[in-house]
Amino acid sequence: MKQTDSLVIKICGSAGDGAISAVEILNRACALMGFHIMNFDSYPAEIRGFGKSVGHTRISRTPLLTPGRYADCLVALNDMHAITELKRIKPDAALVYDSRPPDYIEEDCAVAGFIEPGMSGYGVPLRELSAQAVKSARSRNIVALGAIAAMYNLDPEAFIEAINIRFARKSAVVREINSAALKMGYEYIRNHRERPVHKTLLAVKRHDRPIRIVNGNEAAAIGALDAGLTLYAGYPITPATKIMEYLAKKLPPKNGTVVQTEDEIAAIGHVVGAGYTGKRAMTATSGPGLCLMTEMLNLAVQAEIACVVINSMRGGPSTGLPTKTEQADLNLALYGGSGDSPRVVLAPANVPECYIMTRRAFEIAEAFQTPVILLLDFFLSNRFEDVDETVLETFEPGMFKRLTAEPVSGKPFERFRVTDNGVSPAAFPGMPGLKHAITGLEHTPRGFPNYEGDNHRAMTEKRRRKFIELQNAWPHPDVTGPKGQLSIGVLSWGSSIGAVREALASPELKGLSIGGCFPRLLQPLQTEPLKLFANRCDRLVVVELNSSGQLAGLIEQTTHKKAMRLADVPAEPPAVEQIVRYLTGVLK
Amino acid sequence: MKPFHYVIIGNGVAANKAAETIRHNHADAKITLISREFFLFYYRHKLPLYITGKIDETDLQVYPVEYYRERNIRLRLGQIVQKVDLHKKVVYLKHMEKVHYDRLLICSGGRSYIPEIYYPFRSCFTTMKRLSTARTIREKLPSVQSIAIVGGDLTSVKLAETLIDTGREVTFILDDYAFWPLESASEIRDSLENALRKMGANVISNDPLNMVKQIKDDDPPLYEIQTQSGKTLQAQMVGAFFGFKPDIDFLIRSGLDIDRGILVDDQLKTAFDDVYAAGDCAQIYAPELKNYWVSVGWKNALRLGEAAALNMVGLTGHARKPAAHATQYKGIKLSTPWWHIL
Repeated sequence: MKQTDSLVIKICGSAGDGAISAVEILNRACALMGFHIMNFDSYPAEIRGFGKSVGHTRISRTPLLTPGRYADCLVALNDMHAITELKRIKPDAALVYDSRPPDYIEEDCAVAGFIEPGMSGYGVPLRELSAQAVKSARSRNIVALGAIAAMYNLDPEAFIEAINIRFARKSAVVREINSAALKMGYEYIRNHRERPVHKTLLAVKRHDRPIRIVNGNEAAAIGALDAGLTLYAGYPITPATKIMEYLAKKLPPKNGTVVQTEDEIAAIGHVVGAGYTGKRAMTATSGPGLCLMTEMLNLAVQAEIACVVINSMRGGPSTGLPTKTEQADLNLALYGGSGDSPRVVLAPANVPECYIMTRRAFEIAEAFQTPVILLLDFFLSNRFEDVDETVLETFEPGMFKRLTAEPVSGKPFERFRVTDNGVSPAAFPGMPGLKHAITGLEHTPRGFPNYEGDNHRAMTEKRRRKFIELQNAWPHPDVTGPKGQLSIGVLSWGSSIGAVREALASPELKGLSIGGCFPRLLQPLQTEPLKLFANRCDRLVVVELNSSGQLAGLIEQTTHKKAMRLADVPAEPPAVEQIVRYLTGVLK
Repeated sequence: MKPFHYVIIGNGVAANKAAETIRHNHADAKITLISREFFLFYYRHKLPLYITGKIDETDLQVYPVEYYRERNIRLRLGQIVQKVDLHKKVVYLKHMEKVHYDRLLICSGGRSYIPEIYYPFRSCFTTMKRLSTARTIREKLPSVQSIAIVGGDLTSVKLAETLIDTGREVTFILDDYAFWPLESASEIRDSLENALRKMGANVISNDPLNMVKQIKDDDPPLYEIQTQSGKTLQAQMVGAFFGFKPDIDFLIRSGLDIDRGILVDDQLKTAFDDVYAAGDCAQIYAPELKNYWVSVGWKNALRLGEAAALNMVGLTGHARKPAAHATQYKGIKLSTPWWHIL
């Protein structure tokens, strides 16, 4: 029997088959047992009943960096869809399939027909057992979970606990029949297989730490709530909609407001308007929405108004691939807008960072009177991780603070005073003695329109200069790997960082002269630490999910060094195996 | 247009030789091998060495996976044929899949045979026809010191030898049923008895088994064996080796002519067009004898697989009846009258 550090399990079905909710219960059960999980589902853009849904989770005794691409176990709730997933399983994978479907299936339409030598087939009468438990086939997914528990020596009681949590709001009968379905799957494998166990995970201790299973969207929404958000305005768009859905439930009880606007332009208008009055406001969107918001974001840059925008990237351009991940909005976030339009762009690498950086984004926006764009992506927005709540609780606010103006008698208030650090004391409508004008036109320190070159130069410089303090204060990019000169320096950003880190720690690359550098603050870029890293590297490789190498271009500009691009748009998270292969090739 | 589809039920020597021959003669055909076992084609005669830990599972493998990939032969392992419809040309698999064929070869082999009179004791018996059971024995063996072997086929002789080599106490109860389907086997029995004694086995002969029961449910368990003369002995494992019988239950009500095996002509063809049988599961007509014979042994199965395949691809192959005394092991010359007449 094989022992393993981590397991990747996929449950594949049609939308509505319960693949995603089964994985949700699996995650909860494994977290209860003390395992770490990382879950990334994929589902169709269309409504229920169409297309393929794949619940994908990785379970490990150690913290995870990626959900893994190739599965140890594939559960087929729909044979045809599962057949298309066979290219994403390991050669020794287990395949769980319904061994008694209602009728015979033609050759090549039955997933069991694709079991290759080396794989293990686990035929389970999923429908029949579900019918025995719940009088219908709808709990096939739960029967399959029972089978998984038996195949991987996982505690079935933890699954029942997870079912009770999942169906806490349903009647006791629902909890009981689903628990029965789970036990049937479990017992079937134990009683009908000579060797029920496929692989075992190295044991972990059950712990009492409070664990939340959250995805990037939820973590960002919780971060915004904890930051004191007062207004959320947004227009639904995949993959950002869940942020609005979460806040719609949680913000009003905290006396905040959620507005679903008629479009993205109105949404950013609300947010910039609220920022103008000194309130913490946020919107969340995806690439097509960010395109619409650029004009209003430019106003916020020009008028130095704080606002936070979460952009969860999906495949583009245009409506593109709504339910697929990509990192191709970097240039839009960095440069989208007319004129010299500096703004702050942050890219969290994992779910806890979504929380932390959203909270920090409000501080930055207020302290530097600027729009802050947080770049999430479909992968990060939707991937679930087990997050130790104590990590969230240890966040220390106050890294950056707003400088508020005080009235000075006898002198007109200069809202946009040109200061050494570029930051002008802020004031809001209604504050006595701090009357000022606000406009999208270039303006004088008092805010009145002015088109003189000297004034424009001074203001443009001021708007750029104010980020020097941020550049200096922000933690330097994570640097990993050996000290001294490196054969290859690998850079990456956002959700791709995990895959790169895992690749660098792989047996194939471990111990080689390869290091990593992972910035989170993408604008303003921290030039000095990046140059220092680049100077240590014979070659630079930038890994990102876009076709042109958007960060790579930025790195080249900054470090004056050519960067090789592992820039790909596979419509799924980067594969560790691909990165390892690429870097091994570069070394040869 | 769909490629011509050859389906072969089985993954033993006849099946694999047939697949290779078909591929050689029909390059663009689709070839599917269906086997109830999860393992790649392996050397069955090496199982005794595997059980005693002298070789590993990989040493049993005849071909690696790549062999099948290179020849574009689809392997369906761990899949059980539930029934066949020879009129519609469909093989029905237990997991509810239909596989359509153009030409079918049945090489489903045999499974361990336990004589009916010993059925009451079968829960006490350990058999070893397949790798899956061999695996279980291998796992149990380290704690086992005393083994009784009932029967007397070639595999059991090899097993006895390797067990004795590893210091275990082996008692061999030579049983008339061991030579099934042979009715009278005194010549073979005497030959075996002498060879087994030379190896160092305790041999009980001419004293059939009367009763076997488990007297201790422990690790290892303990069994008591009683012969008809009243002799009793104890052993921690009881191996039953009575040869095999064709594994053709899925052909019940298929319409095929079945006696002890599937009846085929000397070109391995059944009464159905496009359906052939070869190897251990076939009973082959010999025109010169005007009777049927059954296949025993690796080389024989190899020839039959090849002959069947040649006929399936439109060439001609004949089943050649092997000569007597074709099988020898450790000086035990196995006369093979059952190859002539059943």
